[in-house]
Amino acid sequence: MAFLELREVTKRFPGVVANDRISLEIDRGEIRALVGENGAGKSTLMKVLSGLYQPDAGEIRLDGRRVVIDSPRRAIELGIGMVHQHFMLIPRFTVLENIVLGSEPARGGLLREREARRIVGELCQKYEFTLDLGARVEDLSVGAQQRVEILKVLYRGAEILILDEPTAVLAPQEVRELFVNLRHLRDQGKTIIFISHKLDEVLEIADRISVLRRGVLVGTVRREETERAALARMMVGRPVLLELEKGPYRPGEDRLVVEDLTVPGPGGRPAVRRVSLRVRAGEIYGIAGIEGNGQSELVEALSGLRRASAGRILIGGVSVTEATMRRMRPVTEGRVRRARPVAEGRVRRLRELGLAHIPEDRQRRGLILAMTVWENGVLGLHRSPSFARRGWLQVRPIKKHAQSLVREFDIRLPGLDIPVRNVSGGNQQKLILARELGREPTLIVASQPTRGLDIGATEFVRQQLLRARDRGRAVLLVSADLEEVLSLSDRVGVMYGGELVAEFRPGEVTPEEIGHYMLGGRARATEAAVGGTRGADGAGGTGGAGGGVGPAGGTGGAAGADGGVRGRGGAGEAGGTGGGMA
Amino acid sequence: MRKRYRYVALELASPLVAIAFAVLVGAVVIAAIGKNPVQVYRIMFTFAFRRLDSVGIMLFGATPLIFSGLAVAISFRAGLFNIGVEGQYLIGTFLAALAGFALKGLPSFVHLPLVIVVAALGGALWSLLPIYLKVRRGVHEVISTIMLNYIAFSLIHYLIADVFMDKQQGLMPGVGNPLIRLPKIAASALMPRMHGFLALLGVDLPRHVYLNWFFPLGLLLAVAVHYLIWRTAFGYELRAVGHNPAAAEAAGIDPAAVQIRAFLLSGLIAGVTGLSDLLSYFGYMDLDFPKGYGFTGIAVALMGKNSPLGIVLAALLFGFLNRGAEGVQTFAGVPMDTVVILQGVMILSIVVASAVMGRYIRRQERKEALGASW
Repeated sequence: MAFLELREVTKRFPGVVANDRISLEIDRGEIRALVGENGAGKSTLMKVLSGLYQPDAGEIRLDGRRVVIDSPRRAIELGIGMVHQHFMLIPRFTVLENIVLGSEPARGGLLREREARRIVGELCQKYEFTLDLGARVEDLSVGAQQRVEILKVLYRGAEILILDEPTAVLAPQEVRELFVNLRHLRDQGKTIIFISHKLDEVLEIADRISVLRRGVLVGTVRREETERAALARMMVGRPVLLELEKGPYRPGEDRLVVEDLTVPGPGGRPAVRRVSLRVRAGEIYGIAGIEGNGQSELVEALSGLRRASAGRILIGGVSVTEATMRRMRPVTEGRVRRARPVAEGRVRRLRELGLAHIPEDRQRRGLILAMTVWENGVLGLHRSPSFARRGWLQVRPIKKHAQSLVREFDIRLPGLDIPVRNVSGGNQQKLILARELGREPTLIVASQPTRGLDIGATEFVRQQLLRARDRGRAVLLVSADLEEVLSLSDRVGVMYGGELVAEFRPGEVTPEEIGHYMLGGRARATEAAVGGTRGADGAGGTGGAGGGVGPAGGTGGAAGADGGVRGRGGAGEAGGTGGGMA
Repeated sequence: MRKRYRYVALELASPLVAIAFAVLVGAVVIAAIGKNPVQVYRIMFTFAFRRLDSVGIMLFGATPLIFSGLAVAISFRAGLFNIGVEGQYLIGTFLAALAGFALKGLPSFVHLPLVIVVAALGGALWSLLPIYLKVRRGVHEVISTIMLNYIAFSLIHYLIADVFMDKQQGLMPGVGNPLIRLPKIAASALMPRMHGFLALLGVDLPRHVYLNWFFPLGLLLAVAVHYLIWRTAFGYELRAVGHNPAAAEAAGIDPAAVQIRAFLLSGLIAGVTGLSDLLSYFGYMDLDFPKGYGFTGIAVALMGKNSPLGIVLAALLFGFLNRGAEGVQTFAGVPMDTVVILQGVMILSIVVASAVMGRYIRRQERKEALGASW
């Protein structure tokens, strides 16, 4: 008999049936993937399971007994634990403190730390988790933080773990390690529900895969009995173009030239270190790398939102460095400086030079959520002669413009007058894309353009970027999604620790090798020039990640195999670690 | 989209719900001091609306609040909290009084507009420092404007009592001390009352009503602010920066520049707040010049949801409450403080009600939008 059983679970919202009579049977010790596009009802279903929502109809059975999960607390009492996509950790607390937080073993109000350490230590041992319990969470890698989250749930006695898009923030090696951990958990009898829309991962880790579409369970298949294209068809109801159509590569003149650019990060220390690159007309230059390695700061510097401290930027042959550097010298250090206005018209000048920016955080940088669709459609263009005359907004042309954007980019909305807040993520991104590409830019800087989008919207965004490239635009694509960078780009650079540590054409290198660069290994013709002093940095980074790289024994090997072609500093460590664990 | 109208209706309903709740609480207070709430409220209404002078006095009382409410609302829209309207209008009023008595022999059509401009500039002047500190140094404008309010109080006190006090006042018979006040403003700078105009319409306003042309001016300003916010490129930028400065910045709008302009504009409007009293009722500025319009303006903006129309309505409501309070005090023996309690509860419950209602509406809208995009 199934361990967890959902019978005809239905959850309605006004005008929407988010879950329509969904029946699932999940066995003990199974990894079950739940896939579907955004809005397919995955999250709603999981919220029903974790006690955040009450189903309108249907029942949930656990171990054959009917249960009512009326609160998250009740869910955890029943052994259902949720590992959130955004970690709920306190950065300044240690790993141990974070794990026991909320149900600390205590006597008379005093935390019994030794007891806590013993319990958590045993858990780590049992499920083979590598974690330094005394380390502060803020010092941990993302992968390690995720392990803390999982341990938190296990510590509370979870038998069923729900993981919501757990791989979204991880590097390939970290994903592998997560999968190793998950398999351990499964082999010890834990049940895992894995939510994702990355089909390759699902096919790798899941025992069975359930597909949701528009609130309905389309079907459940065993991993061995399906393949990628079939799953994709189930998800979207039509075959998805996984191989992207791409015109021949005919690069033109340099549209963006970056020379020795150094950009300070939030703390004032350089987040981008002496990066040089060129993006030509008619090409997509992709920047791969784990998030937080200076990509965001690079993009902000290129789009005029952050001042560089050294180096040069040329857009269409025009040096925008003076504009960028004009007022870089801070009057005072630290907090005060950030209060100074940053833009000072620079963003506008860059935009006039033909720069279009698709920001990584679309809700923070790309849209004014409280304003309507038609108002957002001209954000940044609202001063152009067609939309403002003598300071007066030309409402009718603006609405007409929004209408045409909506039509051309197939944005699905109930109307133009609704606040953008109420539009789905995919349509929000389409709106930004429509607005930015609609003004015929010469250079497009796109940062994480498909993050969080469903397959349909992702495909659409990628095709638009490719179309822009084929029409002779220069595109700088920054993405944490390696597959995306590799399939779209004509040339690829990898960033690590603020530096561009490798540059190649896709197909020249294996994903494993790229993963190796992403974790701090270096290999580049120019390394001799840049490397010398930075070797220590690189090695330190690799060492730190070493614990995490362990299970990826294959990586070291693969990287070693073609290592002869290029100079490489960090390969030794990575290879060594991999070998040691294997 | 018929549903949108339903949301608008709901949005409008929240102040009404709050008012109803406040009336209920007020009833409890009135009952607690041993009066009959129904009777007291009836007196309030009949006193305020059955008498022509009361209506005029209500409109006169609402006039400064329209200006201060609009000033606060413009800063709110740009994501700033101008708590300094209080100090700004005192400075503006003082400078206007100065220009009113110091300049002589100007024709009225020059002098009066000049005095109004001086008042506006005075308000802007007093808002300059906080916004400069805000965008250049990150000093929060709430702190700096509150502090500047105190400086304005003391400065005005000093200037009126020690520097510019009118030493040539003729003493009224039986009154020993001269008033601590500035010299009287020249007649050419005074704002005419509306009696003549209203007489043409057949309305005969009693002499003791000081309703003047600042009231229609305030209404016009409200209309202008409405168009500024919703129909100009600057208003667009102002709202964009108010909602999300990061996105505005990425779109090439300079948030600091917009905030500076919005705040100065707020100061300009704030500067005019005191003129209705100064240029028609008093004719001079003294130490007891009415205070608190700036703070009440915050409540008015809040109650009016930062929309010009709402602000006008809220200002009229406050005008009504103040006039009604006088009636209640005189005819029912209920202290005016009861009405102050009423106002306080009203403001509190309006904040709660609009938050609750706003959340509900947003949730509904979201569900609806999701439904439509499926």
